Amino acid sequence: MIPDPTPPDLGSRRFRRTLLRVMAVQVATLLLLWLLQARYTG
Amino acid sequence: MHPLDWVIIVVYLVYVLVDGVRRAKGTRELEGYFLANRSLPWWAVGLSVMATQLSAITLIGTTGQGATDGMRFVQFYFGLPLAMVILGVTLVPFLHGAKVFTAYEYLERRFDAKTRSLTSFLFLLARGMSCGTIIAAPAVVFSAIFGWDLVWSVALMGIPTVIYTMIGGVQAVTWVDVKQMVLIVFALVAVAVILLVELPVSPDDALAIAGATGRARVFDFSFDVNQTYTFWSGVIGGTFLMLSYFGTDQSQVQRYLTAKSVDEARSSLLMSAYWKIPLQALVLLVGVLVFVFYLFQAPPLLFNPADERAVRRAEPGALAALETRYGGVLAERRAAVEVVARARDGGDGPAVTVALDRFKARDADVETVRGEALALAERVTGEPSRDVNYVMPWFVLHHLPLGLVGIFIAAVLAAAMSSIAAELNSLATVTVIDFYRRWVRPEGSDGHYLLVSKAATGLWGVFACVVATFAATLGSLIEVVNRFGSFFYGSILGVFLLAMIRRARPVGAFVGLIAGMAAVAAVNFGAPSVSFLWHNVIGAVTVVGVGILLSAMQRPAS
Repeated sequence: MIPDPTPPDLGSRRFRRTLLRVMAVQVATLLLLWLLQARYTG
Repeated sequence: MHPLDWVIIVVYLVYVLVDGVRRAKGTRELEGYFLANRSLPWWAVGLSVMATQLSAITLIGTTGQGATDGMRFVQFYFGLPLAMVILGVTLVPFLHGAKVFTAYEYLERRFDAKTRSLTSFLFLLARGMSCGTIIAAPAVVFSAIFGWDLVWSVALMGIPTVIYTMIGGVQAVTWVDVKQMVLIVFALVAVAVILLVELPVSPDDALAIAGATGRARVFDFSFDVNQTYTFWSGVIGGTFLMLSYFGTDQSQVQRYLTAKSVDEARSSLLMSAYWKIPLQALVLLVGVLVFVFYLFQAPPLLFNPADERAVRRAEPGALAALETRYGGVLAERRAAVEVVARARDGGDGPAVTVALDRFKARDADVETVRGEALALAERVTGEPSRDVNYVMPWFVLHHLPLGLVGIFIAAVLAAAMSSIAAELNSLATVTVIDFYRRWVRPEGSDGHYLLVSKAATGLWGVFACVVATFAATLGSLIEVVNRFGSFFYGSILGVFLLAMIRRARPVGAFVGLIAGMAAVAAVNFGAPSVSFLWHNVIGAVTVVGVGILLSAMQRPAS
C-alpha cells in the first residue's frame, strides 16, 4: 500500500477550507436560483 | 447524421477502451484491482463520484424534464451538500479507517456475519437489476432515434465498458470517469452556448418567456409529503437519500475507499457537494432554453420517432387531424411570443403583461393538442409515453452544428458507461469479498481472487446486458425490483447509523433492518401514502429506533 504523503494536520486544514468553500458556493447558488425565480416568475 | 459525427463517436469509444485497458498495469493484486492500492488523488475520485452519479438519462431525460417542467427538479439535490458534509465527518473516517473492501464488510466487524450478508445480498439484488436499466434507458432511446435493434444499442455501450472494467479494474473506472466527466461538462456548456446564440431573443427575454409558463420556478416551500419535488422533501428527504446512496451503496463507497487518506476521501465527496447543484441547474437550464428555442422553431408533435411511426401506421387519420390542429396552434403561439419580445424591447410594462397572458393561453392550446397526441400514442403502443426523453435527442440531431452532434452523443455514451462501469466494479467486489472469499473459499491466493474478480466483473456485465436487452419485456419485473430496492436504501443507512452507536447490539441491527424495510413497504403500499423521497427517512429512523430498543432490552453478557 502506498503511504499517504499528506501530514494529518495539513489534510484537516484543507478539509476545513474546502468545507467553507462548499458552503459559500451552495449559498451563492441558492441565491442565484432565488434571483432567477424572483425576476422571471410572475 | 453526418459521417464526421460518427467518426467522433467511434474515435471516442476506441480511445476509452484503449485508455481503460492501459490501466490494467497497476492492478496485479486484489487491492490494486478493487481499491487502486488506496492511492488515488481526491480530485480524480471526486470526478469519478460525479461521473458515476451522472447517468445518460440525466443528460437526455433531465434536460427533457427542464424543457417540459422547468427548473423545480433541482430541489431534489438540495440535501446533497449537507449529506456530503455529514458523511465527511461520520462514515467516511469509519469506513476508510477500517481498511475494508466493502461497506458491508465493516458491518460484520461491528455486528455479525448475517447482517453483513443480508445487506450485501440486498445490494447485489438491486444493483444487478438497476445496472441493466442504466444500460437499457439510453439504449431504448438510441434504438428509437436511429432505428437500430435494441441488441446493437446495448452492445455499443455494454461491450467496451465490460472490457475495460474487467481488465483495468477500479483504476480504469476512475481514470476513464475523469475524462468522461470533462467531456460531459464540455458538451453541456457547448449546447448552452449554441442555444443562446441561436435564440432570436436575448437571454433575458428567453428567461422571461420561460418564466411566464412557470419554468423558472425553482422553490416550492409547501410541506406536502405526497409532493416529490418541494424544498422540504429535497432538504430532509434528499439528505437521507444522499446519505444512504453515498454512505452505504458500494458503487459510491468504493470510489472514496480508493483515496489516499481520510482527508482525501472527504475532499473527493466535497467536490460533489461543490458542483452537483450548479451542474444540475445547468442541465435543467439547457432544457428550459430548448423549450424557448421550440417556441420559434416548429417542434414535432411527438418527439419519439418510434411512437410517431406506430401511430402513423395504426391511426393515420387521427394523427393527420392532430397535426393540422398542431400546426395552427403553433403558428398562433409563435405570433404571441413575438409580440412578447417586441413589447419587452419597447419597455412597455402593461403591454408586456397583456402579451404574456396571451402567450400563456396559446401555450396552453399547444399543450392540449400535444396531450391528445401523447394519449393517442399510449393507446396505440399500449405503453406509457416517455416522450420527455426524446426532446433533447431530437434537438441534438436536428439543430446542433456538425461535430457537436457527435460530441453530445459521445457525452451521452460517456455518462452511461461511467455509471455502468462503477456498478460492475462494485458488484464484482461485493460478490468476491462478501460472498466468495467469506463463504466459499476463505483461504485462496491473491492471484486466485484476482482471476475470480475479473470473471465476476465479466459475468455481471453479461447479466446487465441481457437484462437491458430484455428490458422492454422485463419492464414490470424491473420496476418491482427497483421499487423493492427503495425499501432498503434508508434501512441500510439505519444499520450504519446504529454501527456508530456504542450500545447497539447485533440483534438490534438485524431485526431493526427487517423492521425498517417493513415500515417502508407499508408506506409504499399506502398506509399512509408518502412520496418516495421520505421512504429513506422512515427506513433509517425505524431501524435506529427498533435497533436501540432491542439492544437496550438485551442483557449484557456476563
